[in-house]
Order: sequence, then C-alpha cells, then structure tokens
Amino acid sequence: MDEKVRKQKKHQQKHSGPKAERKKQKKLGASEEEDERKRNPKAFAVQSAVRMAKTFHRAQDIKTKKHHIPVVDRTPLEPPPVVIVVVGPPKVGKSTLIRCLIKNFTRQKLGDICGPVTIVSGKKRRLTFIECTNDINTMIDLAKVADLVLMLIDASFGFEMETFEFLNICQVHGFPRIMGVLTHLDSFKNNNTLRKTKKKLKHRFWTEVYQGAKLFYLSGMVYGEYQTQEVKNLGRFICVMKFRPLVWQSSHPYVLVDRMEDLTDPENIRTNPKCDRTVSLYGYLRGAHLKNKSHIHIPGIGDFQVGSVNFLPDPCPLPDAQKKRALNEKERLLYAPMAGVGGLVYDKDAVYIDFPANHVNQHQEEVRPTTELVQSLIDTHATLDAKMAVSKVSLFSSSAILDPTDVNKQSREQEGIKEKHVWDPNIKRERRKVVFSKEDEEDDFSGSCDSEDSDQADEEDENDDDLGTYLRAECKETATGDVPPKKIQKLEKVQREVITEEPAFADSEDELENSEEDDEIWEAGYSGHSSEEELEKESVGEGSTAEKMKTQSEKESEEKEEHGALRWKDGLQQKAAEAFLRQQETVPNLRKLVYGSVVEAENSEEEEEELGGLFKVSLPQKSKKVQANALDCSHFTPDTSHNWDLEEMLNSIRDCFVTGKWEKGQDAAILLKQDEKLYGDFEDLETGIVHTSQAAEQDEAENDEENNELKDVQVKMDDEEVQKNKRLEKKRRLKEQFDTEYDDGDATYFDDLKEEMQKQAELNKAEFEDMHDDTRVQYEGFRPGMYIRVEISSLPCEFVTNFDPHYPIILGGLGSSEGNIGYLQMRLKKHRWYDRILKTRDPLIFSLGWRRFQTIPLYHIEDHNGRHRLLKYTPQHMHCGASIWGPITPQGSGFLALQSVGGTEANFRIAATGVILDLDKSVTIVKKLKLIGYPYKIFKNTCFVKGMFNTMLEVAKFEGASIRTVSGIRGQIKKALSTPLGAYRATFEDRLLMSDIVFLRSWYPVSIPQFYNPVTSLLLPPSQKDSWSGMRTLGQLKHDLGIHNNPNPDSLYKPIVRAKRHFNPLHIPKELQKALPFKSKPKQQQPKGKTPRDLQRPSVIREPHERKVAALLQALSTIHNYKKRKTHTVQHAKHKDYLQQKEKQEEAKQKRQRQARKKLYRVMGQQDQKKLRSSLKGGPKDN
Amino acid sequence: MTSGGLSYDGCNFFRQRLVLSTLSGKHVRIKNIRSKDDDPGLRDFEASFIRLLDKVTNGSRIEINQTGTVLFYQPGLLYGGPVEHDCNPQRSVGYYLEALLMLAPFMKMSLKATLRGVTNDPSDPTVDLLKSTALPLMKKFGIDGEGFDLKVVKRGMAPGGGGEVVFTCPVRRTIKPVQLTDPGKIKRIRGVAYSVRVSPQMGNRIVESTRSVLNQFLPDIYIYTDHMKGLNSGKSPGFGLTLVAETLNGCFLSAEMSSTPQGQGDPVLPEDLGRNCAKLLLEEVYRGGCVDSSNQSLAVLLMTLGQQDVSKVLLGPLSPYTIEFLRHIRDFFQVMFKLEVQKPSEDERKGGDKVLLTCVGVGYSNINKTVK
Repeated sequence: MDEKVRKQKKHQQKHSGPKAERKKQKKLGASEEEDERKRNPKAFAVQSAVRMAKTFHRAQDIKTKKHHIPVVDRTPLEPPPVVIVVVGPPKVGKSTLIRCLIKNFTRQKLGDICGPVTIVSGKKRRLTFIECTNDINTMIDLAKVADLVLMLIDASFGFEMETFEFLNICQVHGFPRIMGVLTHLDSFKNNNTLRKTKKKLKHRFWTEVYQGAKLFYLSGMVYGEYQTQEVKNLGRFICVMKFRPLVWQSSHPYVLVDRMEDLTDPENIRTNPKCDRTVSLYGYLRGAHLKNKSHIHIPGIGDFQVGSVNFLPDPCPLPDAQKKRALNEKERLLYAPMAGVGGLVYDKDAVYIDFPANHVNQHQEEVRPTTELVQSLIDTHATLDAKMAVSKVSLFSSSAILDPTDVNKQSREQEGIKEKHVWDPNIKRERRKVVFSKEDEEDDFSGSCDSEDSDQADEEDENDDDLGTYLRAECKETATGDVPPKKIQKLEKVQREVITEEPAFADSEDELENSEEDDEIWEAGYSGHSSEEELEKESVGEGSTAEKMKTQSEKESEEKEEHGALRWKDGLQQKAAEAFLRQQETVPNLRKLVYGSVVEAENSEEEEEELGGLFKVSLPQKSKKVQANALDCSHFTPDTSHNWDLEEMLNSIRDCFVTGKWEKGQDAAILLKQDEKLYGDFEDLETGIVHTSQAAEQDEAENDEENNELKDVQVKMDDEEVQKNKRLEKKRRLKEQFDTEYDDGDATYFDDLKEEMQKQAELNKAEFEDMHDDTRVQYEGFRPGMYIRVEISSLPCEFVTNFDPHYPIILGGLGSSEGNIGYLQMRLKKHRWYDRILKTRDPLIFSLGWRRFQTIPLYHIEDHNGRHRLLKYTPQHMHCGASIWGPITPQGSGFLALQSVGGTEANFRIAATGVILDLDKSVTIVKKLKLIGYPYKIFKNTCFVKGMFNTMLEVAKFEGASIRTVSGIRGQIKKALSTPLGAYRATFEDRLLMSDIVFLRSWYPVSIPQFYNPVTSLLLPPSQKDSWSGMRTLGQLKHDLGIHNNPNPDSLYKPIVRAKRHFNPLHIPKELQKALPFKSKPKQQQPKGKTPRDLQRPSVIREPHERKVAALLQALSTIHNYKKRKTHTVQHAKHKDYLQQKEKQEEAKQKRQRQARKKLYRVMGQQDQKKLRSSLKGGPKDN
Repeated sequence: MTSGGLSYDGCNFFRQRLVLSTLSGKHVRIKNIRSKDDDPGLRDFEASFIRLLDKVTNGSRIEINQTGTVLFYQPGLLYGGPVEHDCNPQRSVGYYLEALLMLAPFMKMSLKATLRGVTNDPSDPTVDLLKSTALPLMKKFGIDGEGFDLKVVKRGMAPGGGGEVVFTCPVRRTIKPVQLTDPGKIKRIRGVAYSVRVSPQMGNRIVESTRSVLNQFLPDIYIYTDHMKGLNSGKSPGFGLTLVAETLNGCFLSAEMSSTPQGQGDPVLPEDLGRNCAKLLLEEVYRGGCVDSSNQSLAVLLMTLGQQDVSKVLLGPLSPYTIEFLRHIRDFFQVMFKLEVQKPSEDERKGGDKVLLTCVGVGYSNINKTVK
C-alpha cells in the first residue's frame, strides 16, 4: 500500500514575474493598504451608465416607497382601551371567542355579552371587546370606531357576504387592523381537505386585506370553548399589536358608550311617557380632544349638543407602575356595565351597584331589579343629603359647579368601609368605599338651610342621590381652590355687598347662567373702560405674595363663619396656601380677566373674589350699553403714563435692540472668549510658531504650581478629572461643529419633517403635563383616554324605551361647521359586486362621517367643457359625480351607499362607494333639453319654423341661438314672427325640406332635492332594529301600491314593419346611351322580353286517330325502351363476368410468365457463376 | 340641525363676530345695534362690510330688520376669487382688510381683492402697517407662497379716499402650529413716510425728526419717503408715517401715525408726527412680544385654527380688542388660551410684562377648498 501513495507534486513558487513582485510588495507591507478598486479598476468600472442609473433609481424607489407622510403622534400617555370588534356572520362563534378571550385575560366567565366589555390585558394595554351583530347598521358604526377587527370565518362554510360587506365598509371608512379567525375547523374529517380549505381561504383573505395578513385557526371546541392554548396565542397577538392612526378617528373625538343612565324626572315620565329624556352616557373618550358644549352625532339617533361633560375616575384603570412582569389577580379588571359587570360605580348623581362577575346571571333582566332596589335604598338617604348640600352652598355666597370626579375622589378618601361586604374583593379597593358613613356630620349643617333651597333639593332628588358626596366635594373645592391675590380691600367690600344684596348668586345650580350673564355685563364694562391701565395693573400685580394670600383666605374664612358654623374649615388656610402654591404659575388673574367666571366655576374661593370683581364692574350700568355700541377698532391706544423723553424710560428697553446687552449664551464677546479657550491652540504652518491660548497657558501654569505645591494624590485625581472634563467638552464642541457642517447637507426634507413632528409631539405632551386635570380640561378639552360622562338632554324617549345593549351607541364628535347641512359634491362609483345600476333621484342611504342618512342623489358627469351633465343612471364600470343635500363633511372623506338597511338579502348590499370632493352652495348640474319645431315655409336658405315656442317673448330670448335639423343642417334663430305665435325666422347653411325637424339643444339647471333623513335605527324596538326603512324608491312604491306605469306608446318596442320600396326605372338620356360601351347599353342589359304574338307558334291539337297513333307509338316506344334497358343490363352483367374471367386468366398468365422468368434467370445466374468460377480456376492454373 | 347659533348685543366687535361666525359655520344674531342712539341701526361702513362679506362668500344669508338694529347672519362658504369692493370712506381700507386677512386663507379659490377707499386714516391700521406686519406674521403660520401680496396701487387719505389696494392670498387646507416664544433683538427699523397732495418735502421732514429719536438705539434705520402724485394720490391731502422694527427672529413690531384728516381737528406738524410716531414705536417695543399689538387677534385666530397641537405665542399686554377676541374664540370654537405672564428679570431692560399665550388648535381644515 505504501508504495501506492504517490507523493504530490510540490508547488513551485514563482520567483519572478508580476505575481512574485506583488508578493514581495505584500511582504513589505506596501500594497496592503491599496484598495481593491484601485488595484483592479476594470472590475469596478462602470459597464453601462443606463444600468447604473436604473439600479440607482430602483434603490431610490424602494427607499421612498417606505416613507409615509409623517404625522404628529397625538396618542395620550394613558391611551384609551383598544376597541376590538368581533365580527362575522351569525353562528360563527363570536360570543364564544369573546368569552374565551375574557376568560383568558381575567379568569372570569361572562354570560351574555351585552355591549362593550373592557378588560385590562397588560401593564400598558386595555381592551374593549364588542360584538358586531349581523345588522349592516351595526357593522357600519363599529367599522368607524374599531382599532382591531377580529373577523370570524366559518371554515366549514367558507366566506359569507357579511364578511365582504364588512371589509368594504372598512375600506371606505379607513382601514383598521384586521385579523382573520377561522373557526369550525373540527368539522373537517379529511386532513387533506382541511389543508386545502385553509390555504384557499387564506389567499382570498390576503387579496382582500393585504398579502400576509394574519389569519388565525381555532381548531376545535372543548366543552363549548376554544382550546386554551390557541386562545392564549390569539390574546398574545392582540396584546402586542401596533396600530396606525386613522385620519377620521384621530381628528374627531368619539366615545363608544359602555353605560347609559336615564336621568329624566320620573314625574315627567309619568305625566307624559313620550317626553324627551335626559340621558347620561359613559365611556372612554377616544380620538381627539372633546370640548364642552360641542356637537355630537349619535349614529342611529341624530345630532345633539352635549349638555355637560365630566370626567370620572377610570373604572378599569391600568395597574400602577411596578417592576414585576405579570399582573396579579386584583389587577385583572373587567368592566362591562351593560353586561352587568363592573362593581360599584359612583357618579355625579347616582351610585350604581352591580353584581360581581362570579354571580352574574345569564339574563340581564334579573340583575336590573336588584340594582334598582339598592338604588331605592340610597334614594332615601339622598334627600337628606341634598338638603345638606344645598345648605352648604348657600353659606358661601358664591356659586360653583361641582365636579363629580372630585366628588368621587374625595368621598373615596374620606369614607370608611362600611358596606365592604357588599362588593366583590376582585373589584378595586376604591370602589368599595361608600358614601353614607358621614351622615351625622352632614346633618349638622342641613338643619340650617334646607328651607332656603327646597326647590333645589327637589331637583337633587330627581337626580337620584349622592349628595353627601356633593357636599364633601364642595368642602374640598373650597380647600383646593385658588386664592386670588390682588385688590383685597376693594373686593372685600364688594363681597359683602354681594352677600347682602344678591343671595341669588349663592345658588349653585343657576351659577352657570348667572355667571354667564354677568360675565357679559362685566366684559362690556371692562372693554368700555378700555382699561389698559387696569390690565397693566392686573398683570403687574398678579405675582402677589403668599402672605397676602393668607390674609385673604383668613378673611374669607371669617366671612364663612358669619354665615354658618363649619367644622371642615379647620386647616383651610393651610389648604388654601397649598392650593395657591400649586396654581401659582397659572396666574389666574389674567385668565380671569379674559375669560371671567365660567372658567373658575370650580374653585369656589376664587368664585367669591370673582363675583366681587364682577359686581364692581357691572355697577356702572350705563356704560354697558355705550360700550356695546362702541367703535369697532383694533387699535391699542398707547399708555400715556410712559414719557419717552425720559432717559429711564429709554433705558428700560435698551436690551430689546441688538445694540443692547445680550444674554450669556448669546453674547458675542463671551462666545468669542469661550471659543478661544477651546480652539485657541493652533500652529501657524507657514512660520511654524505654535500659538497657545492664554487660558491654556494659565491652566498649565496653574497646574505646574499645583504639582509643585501639592503632591497629594487626591488633588491629582481632581486635576485629572478637570482635564478630562475639559477634553470631553472640547470633543463635544468639535463634534457639534462637525455635525452642523456635515449632517445638515445630508438630511432630507423627509427627515426634517419627521423631526419637526417629533418635536411638536413632545411639546404637546409636555405642555399641560404637570397641570391638574380640572384646569387642563379647560384648555385642552377632555383628552382621549379619559372616562367621561356625557349628559344629553332631549333625547327621544324611544332611545330609552327601546334600548338594547347589543347595539352599539357611539358618540361621534363633530368638527366646526360639520353640524350644518349643505350641498355636497362627490365622486361615486357603483360597486362592482352590486348587481343593479342606480337611478338618479332614487333615495339612497349614505354612510358618511359618523352619520347614516337617506338622501336623494343626482348623478352627473363632467363634459369636456367643464359642464356637469345630469345622468339618468350611474355608469356601469366608471366613476361619476353625485350631488346630494347632506351634512357638511370635510373633503376627502369616504362614504358608502346602500339601497336599504332593512333585512338581509342574499345579494351584496353595498351599492356604491366614493369620496367627497367639494362643498359648494351653488349647484351647476344641467340636464339636456331639446326644443323641437317644424318648418312651415321654406325659402332658399331661410325658413319659418313653428311649434318650438309659444310666444314672441320666448323667441326673443333665444334670438341668435344655434339650431340644427335632424339631418345635420345647422342654422340660427333670427327673429320672431307675428303669426303664428311662437314662430320665427331662421337661416340655415343649406336648404331645408319640409320633412325636416328643427331642434334647439339647450341646458336646463337641475336643483338638488333638499331631502336629508337620518337613519334612526336605534330608536326602533329591539326586534325591529335591523328593519329600518325610509323613503321608498319610485319603483318600490309602484310595486307596493300595485301601480303599473302607462308607458308612452311611442316608447314601446314594436315589430319593425318595413314597406316594400319601389324604385323608379333608371332613365338614361339618349346621348348618354350613345356614348356607353356596347355591353353597358341599356338595350343589352334589359332581360329578354316575351316573344311577340306573330312569332308565337300555335299549339297543336290532335285528331282522335292521331291521338291513338301517338298513344300507341308512345306505348311501343315505352316497351322498346324497357327491352333496351333490360338487354343493356344483361349485357352489362355479362360483360362484367367476362372482364372478371379475363382478369383471372391474365393473372394466371402473369404468374406463369413470372415463374418461367424466374427459372430462366436462375439458370442464367448459375451459368454466370460457373463461368466466373471457371475463369477464376483457370487463372491460377495458368500461373 | 342643531348647530347652535350665538347671540350678541351691540355693534361693538362687529367684525370679529361675523368673521368667526363665517369660519366656524355658526350663525350669529346681533341685537340692539345702536338701539338707544339718535341714529339707530347699522352705519354705512358696517353695511359695506356686510356687502364685502357677501361678496367673498357663497350662500350666506343676511337678514337685517327695518331699523337696522338687529342683524342675523347665517354664514355660507367662503368662495374667494376676484373681488372688487368700494369701501365706505367712513372707515379706512384697513378695517375691511383686517377681516379679509383672517378669512383669505380659507377660501375655495385664492382671493384677489381690490379694495377702494381710504387707505390711511388715524383710527384704523393702515394698509402699510398691515403689509409690513400682518403678512410676515401669516407667513409664520404657513400661509405663504406665490401670490401672497398686498399692493398699494393708489393712496387715498382720510376724508376723501380714492385709494386702491390689491390683496392676493393663496388658499391653505390647514394651518401650521407655531412656537413664537422668543422675539429676539431688534436688528433694524424700516419705515414709510408717505405724503399725498402736499409738499414732497413733508416726507423728508418726518424722516429727519424720526431718526433723531430712534438713532439713540440703533444705527440701522431706513425710512422710505413715498410721495404719490397725480392719479395715484387720491382725493385728500395728508401725510403720515409707518415704522416697523424687525427682530433677529423675524418678528415685526410696528407703529404708525397719520396727519389729522383735512377739516377735522388741528393740523399737525410733520416733525411732531415723526417724533410722536417714533415714541409710539418705542412704546410698542416696550410692550414687546413676537406679534405687535395690532395683529394680536390675527395671531390668536391662526393659533386657534391650527392643527390639534400646542401653539405658543409671546405677546405684549393684551389689547381690549384681543381680550374680546379671546372670549369670542371661546364662544365660537370652545378654545381657551392658557395665559401666563412673563415678567422680565431684574437686570434685563426689555420693557414691560409679556403674556405667553398657549393653546391647542381645533384642527380646523378648510372645507371650502376643492379636492380634485
């Protein structure tokens, strides 16, 4: 074996040539640094400029495609719960899925899923689940508020219409995140079909949503629930999902209502069951900031103005910030008041106790009465409380709107845990605390003043209960309120006056109105004084000291004591001082000056002050009228107290000019010095002199000294640190300089924009961050994420009586002027899956903005000259314009249209989709109108036309108009004729015939019908909620009433009867005939006529004998013919036989001959061979 | 529908109410217009203003009772386009122009307004002032670009008028939020000393006396003399001065003064006028802020109509007109401003107290603009 292992040939290293040279170079280290590109330039040369450009373009395209328009991130710090809409056709497993998810997150079981269910899913996320019924109204409403859609699909059945309808709704109203969930997968027995179905459904889902959209598979049920692991996975997906803000949602505030209470006076309901209701609705605010007194739309009911908005403590708060990873049992909250879960809820005017989840009955009806019972118990206390509360209010000669949130907070802090056993330990601790423990205390005050405000007390009664909290809140208000810092004496006086003269001001209920009225007076007064002096004073004096404050509050407390002995006043000063410190920076004076009392309404102490100020100013009653009609001028007359001749005045503004003193960071001299310190060292390259900055030298010198003097290590360390810091500083500045020099050029417009947005977002967050919620709400409005209570008066009673929690209630905020109605121009396209075309003037139900409404659209199309021509029907596969009378909605918002929202048809229900283009008050749609007339007298090119008009005046209006005949001759109207009426003279480009019809094409403006009918589906009884029907179309009406249209007989289709046409003979003149070639002469072309009579031969009539002879001859010839034929056939057969025989013989003969030839040839061949052989033999013999 | 209207008393702040009504779409009813006056009802200049409003809008409904003491205004959509208006000579063009400045960015088509009448009078901001301060202010809010211009074609002084101004403004869909918290230092002062139908020497006399006051602070002062002749000089004689101080951060503070109209009050000397106007400018500088006192309300409006973001503007003391404007904004848009007083520190010599206005915009979008 060893011999077989051959030694390989050794590599011979080159010792010369370019390779060896290169190696040598490498060894020396010279060629190391050489770039690949430089070494081998050909490999990196540009082969094709075009290809290079292409690759560059493509790279840029891909880069740019990733860009979205940057938007300011306006999500609040504590975002509202994510709305998860579970949607799908009936019996697909929606409720089961929600139940499973809730169980997964909170370990609680829920029976019937009514309304939204809010849960805490993690440390930073809450979820609101809501089930979407099969009703298209619900689908539309929920698509507008959804953040995430769980789209359930029955895999055993496949896609259903509802799924696609919902997807299309989503496409129109902004696309929320959509996650598909396949259920009923256990019905597949065959694994192969299961896989195939999954794949098929997945791909179809992808085409609808986007490529790679997540589709979940729930493989089967275990004891009526989905498998725990799968639900857990789904839950995880939901928890980490990110959402892109949708345009409509982020620009409008909206609330998905999760709780509803009727506040109407029961007496009113008793006397008139159909009276309008006052209802408070609760829910998390989402989207944008909601302002008080703004307009909202409730889809399914209509437009309303918000009566009052308050924010409540979060019923389902996020857990406090903690380090641990998982939530503990107490933090897994569940809030679903409509489903009867949510524990105890406090409110401005009621306490609501709900049963904890474990005890929840499956049927809501059973829960309700129990709650009412408890409420009735509370009611008995409430009356007392009410009186007390009112009495207390009167003590302060002020008026204040009490904030329910404060009420609640306060009550929670103060209460004992008297009724602790009532509630579920799962529900949060705060909720357990109840209002009634302080009754004794309150009784003390109540005695003093219930007589004063009995009417108020009544009111309070109506508004249920919770007045104890009311009272306490007021205490707190006074404590926390702002203390006004200025003009103490004056205000004091005025206050007293107010107290004595105006007891009405003490009324807390009327406070708003009063203050508003007075405000106006005050405003007028103020502006009348045109008092910049006052303004100046106010702004100057606003920074008053805390001592002032204290004295003020003392005085005030004294006043209060005069009116009633109050226990809670203890520590008031201290509280007031605290409050002042808290709000000092807000400087209420200027704000008060501008906005008056309404703003300060919550702070009762300020209120008093304010009231005083108000009273003072309103005293000169005359000035109000004068000022209301003063000169409207924006000029701000200067302050006369400033004398600009004085040097000190001039000095006071010196620094406003560039010649004045600069700030430290900007002063040129200081900056220069700093620069020198850092960049002072440089070496003059020409001369070789090294300059060191003076500062550095000094430093060095100092260092030397230090080194010499102190050998202590500690000092050295310090010194090093100083040096290090200096170096770092220098580095930083150099870096900054470098960045400014080089980065700016590289930054794109997109980067700049993004940075700008980022900055704005930070500012938005920071601006009001450290402010108290009460004040913050006034500036910003209620911010998204807050749990708010919206009170709406004058809701139709059907809303309450026909309330069904399964149907979502949405409060959609409206922007400015979105509450108005006007004309809208839109681009519309009939949906390609809708099987009919739409007819102009047929009512159609639109879903636009928050609203669903029925209106009458007119379809039109734009001609080349910009004219909007009315269409009778929508085009099949094309966009067209549509104009409607409807709610003003910003341009660019999408809409969809339905023919009916009632019932479920098999067909696709979305009739059309489109987008709003324009809002224009003047409508420019025109319809073609053809006026027809007939000529009755024709001259050369002029003719008289009648029948087009009725009077001379009408003709006069159309003088000069162009007209046309059906045959295409154009003309012009010249002048009216006296008789017959309406006839006119017209000229044409050619002569007309009497049979011509003249028409005038004109355009007639069409007006859009002002029909706007909101879909009030929520007001219908529960069983009929999905069967709203509005105005019927003409076709439906006719069908319903059994009316048959009598069509114009001319319009009917009839069999076409064409009369035979007779043409006159062609006459060719003789001269022409002569010239024609012979072939074309008419004589030759004429068919041969009949033979003339004289040429006709007479017919022969035979004699009887001759007839007999002829008959005999005939017979004989027949026989002869027969015989001939017979012989012929026989002959033919014989001949055939003969031919056959002959053929046989021939064949035999051929055969014989062939054999003979064969024999002959064989013999010949043998002879030849013999000959050849003999000749071969003979040859050698010869040799 | 329930788009709650508002109701006011008296004719004061007439323009504010109508302008805000137009922008917010809320109808407004103004009662008791000079009802106790000897000459009750709307004045001619107010009627002229209403007519101008009618010209720039489409579909607005205006009802005035017999005596003219009650006005009902239902706003239509802002239309824009070319508009010509003969302003009543009782008030100057500035009166009308102030309102147009507020409305112009929110029209359907870009506005080209030709206003004829009194261009300069002592009571209202003159066109020169608006040109030099309001336009740069609006540019900060993103109203910029081609065709944003205010041109004084003819000058017409107070009683007679006869001036002509062309104002063109492009259309915007949204307004940018601004942070104008630092006015910066004044780097230059510019001005226009105008004179019509008087000796051209008047302008030079004004310039001379103005410089004598302002040179104590700044060397960079240039005051143009604008003497218009012939057809461009209007119907009445007069002269005046507009001064503008520009800061390093591009803020403009202005002051102006016009001669008393012919036949009304004592005539003023151009030297006095120049000096007084310079003092007015110093007063304005004393007040300070990023926006001068005559444009405060414009700035406030544009802040309100911005995106739903925080806007900040530092102003001098609020003028009564601005205070009323803030109240009206609360009525029409439910927006309240956070008002913080900024006091200058001890060693600084930067004039009086300033007010920092902060607000969150309503997220207003121009619903009049057509999308194609």
